[in-house]
Amino acid sequence: MLRRLDEKPASVEISKAFYPAPFKAGLEYNPPARGVWNIVHTGMLIPQSHQIFACAQGCLRGVLLTAAEMNAMDRMSWIAVEEEDMFDGTMEQDIIDGTADILKKLPCRPRSVLLFISCIQLFAGCDFEMILNELKAQFPDIDFTDCYMTPTMRKTISPDAKMRMQLYDALRPLPLNKRSVNIIGCDRPLDEDTELLKIIRSNGFTLRDLTLCRTYDEYLEMAESAVNITCMPAAKLSGERLSDRFGAKHLYLPISFDVKTIEENYKLLCDTLDIDIPDLSKDISAAESAMKTAAEKLSGRVIAIDFTAAARPFELAKVLCGYGFKVKYIFADSISEEDKPSFEWLKENFPNIRICSVTGSAMLFTSADESECSKIVAIGQKAAFYCRTDHFVNTVANGGLYGIAGVKKLAELISDAAETPKDRRKVIQHKGIGCPSCL
Amino acid sequence: MIKIAIYGKGGIGKSTCASNLSAAFSKMGYKVMQIGCDPKADSTALLRRSERIPTVLDTIREKGDAYELSDIVYEGSCGVKCVEAGGPVPGLGCAGRGIIAALEALEKKGAYEKFSPDIVIYDVLGDVVCGGFSMPMRKGYADKVFVVCSGEKMSRYAAANICMAVENFKGRGYAALGGIILDRRNVANEDGSVKELAEDFNTSVTGYIDRSEDIAKCDELGEVVLNVFPESKAAEQFNVLAENILKEMNK
Repeated sequence: MLRRLDEKPASVEISKAFYPAPFKAGLEYNPPARGVWNIVHTGMLIPQSHQIFACAQGCLRGVLLTAAEMNAMDRMSWIAVEEEDMFDGTMEQDIIDGTADILKKLPCRPRSVLLFISCIQLFAGCDFEMILNELKAQFPDIDFTDCYMTPTMRKTISPDAKMRMQLYDALRPLPLNKRSVNIIGCDRPLDEDTELLKIIRSNGFTLRDLTLCRTYDEYLEMAESAVNITCMPAAKLSGERLSDRFGAKHLYLPISFDVKTIEENYKLLCDTLDIDIPDLSKDISAAESAMKTAAEKLSGRVIAIDFTAAARPFELAKVLCGYGFKVKYIFADSISEEDKPSFEWLKENFPNIRICSVTGSAMLFTSADESECSKIVAIGQKAAFYCRTDHFVNTVANGGLYGIAGVKKLAELISDAAETPKDRRKVIQHKGIGCPSCL
Repeated sequence: MIKIAIYGKGGIGKSTCASNLSAAFSKMGYKVMQIGCDPKADSTALLRRSERIPTVLDTIREKGDAYELSDIVYEGSCGVKCVEAGGPVPGLGCAGRGIIAALEALEKKGAYEKFSPDIVIYDVLGDVVCGGFSMPMRKGYADKVFVVCSGEKMSRYAAANICMAVENFKGRGYAALGGIILDRRNVANEDGSVKELAEDFNTSVTGYIDRSEDIAKCDELGEVVLNVFPESKAAEQFNVLAENILKEMNK
């Protein structure tokens, strides 16, 4: 049936692909690679916070299972919306009363509540601001943040970007501390050995990152940072908004495996902080050497990259091609504006690379030949799934890799992936990479 | 920026009042924007010689997000900027949700910043039947609601309903009740009954518009009275109403 209905190709040579969307939208398939974080995982980053979802029971399924799998059911509650709520005019009051009831019954008072409304409340024109004001008046000791589980109603920014913005909504202005720097919008901490962290700390700055906060008070202290750094595209808006609110400076230092971009990032950082830029030539040399060694080790094998592994998958492909890797597949349904230059470069210089759809239903029936699977080293869970290879770098959203240290580590991870197979099914089904799991 | 919303029973004369008020304010030297919040999309007809303008919702349907303000904001007589929210065809879809979408679209496209009107008039259909139709009363939109009614019982009943809605929303910081506009139908004890209604809601009658052949003629012409019969009693009454509204807004 699927085969008859959907005739769209699952992949296209990059030379024939169009920016920004190489494939037409149609029937979609969601591969069972579950490492990418969702709004629940992201919301749980705030210490001493509690999530409340107001939605129909059917909509609760995904978020509840997420909380259950990560052993965080004690940090989630819900208010079920039913049919009569739509026409008896109580939808807003039900959220207020339901939230109040939950908070009164919780064994421990949270410092923060992330209150999620769903499509139905937006559709019905509920006044979310009024709901929050009412709750703030009833519970002045709790910070309420408006959050959204509204896939049918989201018209502007992505749910991911919106959630990352809302994460910092509870911060209140503090006198800015010029010696304090935030990293904003990451799922997990950046690796400790990245130069970014070393530069900041070794120059006497306090580094703050939500992923490192153990208490709510530590989270609140993030408001004093005079510089907010974002490095993920989805976090850019959150850095801009936070900086606008507090009069701080926002620096977007995008995650990249391109040495030139990394050097530009550090120059901008050091100029902003008014510190000397360190000499990274030895580190660069070591990283490039690691990459070349890995490329030699992978001789005869090919690389597949997917967009969930790297913020700029086309740039990563370009970088790896430069080191001598044979990149054959890039799994992505769109090309971002940031990645466009690399996409154009690859079109010109490596026209035979295939871009494969991640969500196209035709992908169910298209996969690499068995003989080829063993030769593919994938970077990313979705690439591993589609290429049916157990040799993969298990990473999502750049996995904490940053800077020259990130380049070196990626080389090591690729080498390791080539040598050591993983239990693909078990690894990629872990929901929310890096989060606890009860499975 | 002065922002008012005009509510009232269907057919009571809201759009006639809104359009003539827009013309009156404009002739006083104010920059005016009139936004029709009704799927029928006929609020600004008297400012456009009955020419229909593309609605916000039709434009979104046709062009997605790739539309300009010039696609949805049109200049009418006396330089009044005219917008029609639009909505679904009768019997289908949800008009209330449509109003929300249209008002949000205007904001998103920066209509208020671009045109910088001194006065915005939201002309809202018949009754506050669901959340969407209360949108023009909410924070960020109208500051005051004026309810058009006559002495007829059902008109007063509808007006009372709207006043109650405004009253219910008091604690939310929504628009306050600015007053009642009496659009006379020459029924018995009309002035007295409407005055009583106003007093029940701690407000007053802001202005009186007599039943008039001039208004009816202009309706046929698709014109505002202030343009066609500027010396008429009707025109004078709209001018007085406009002045009274300004006084109320300056309180």
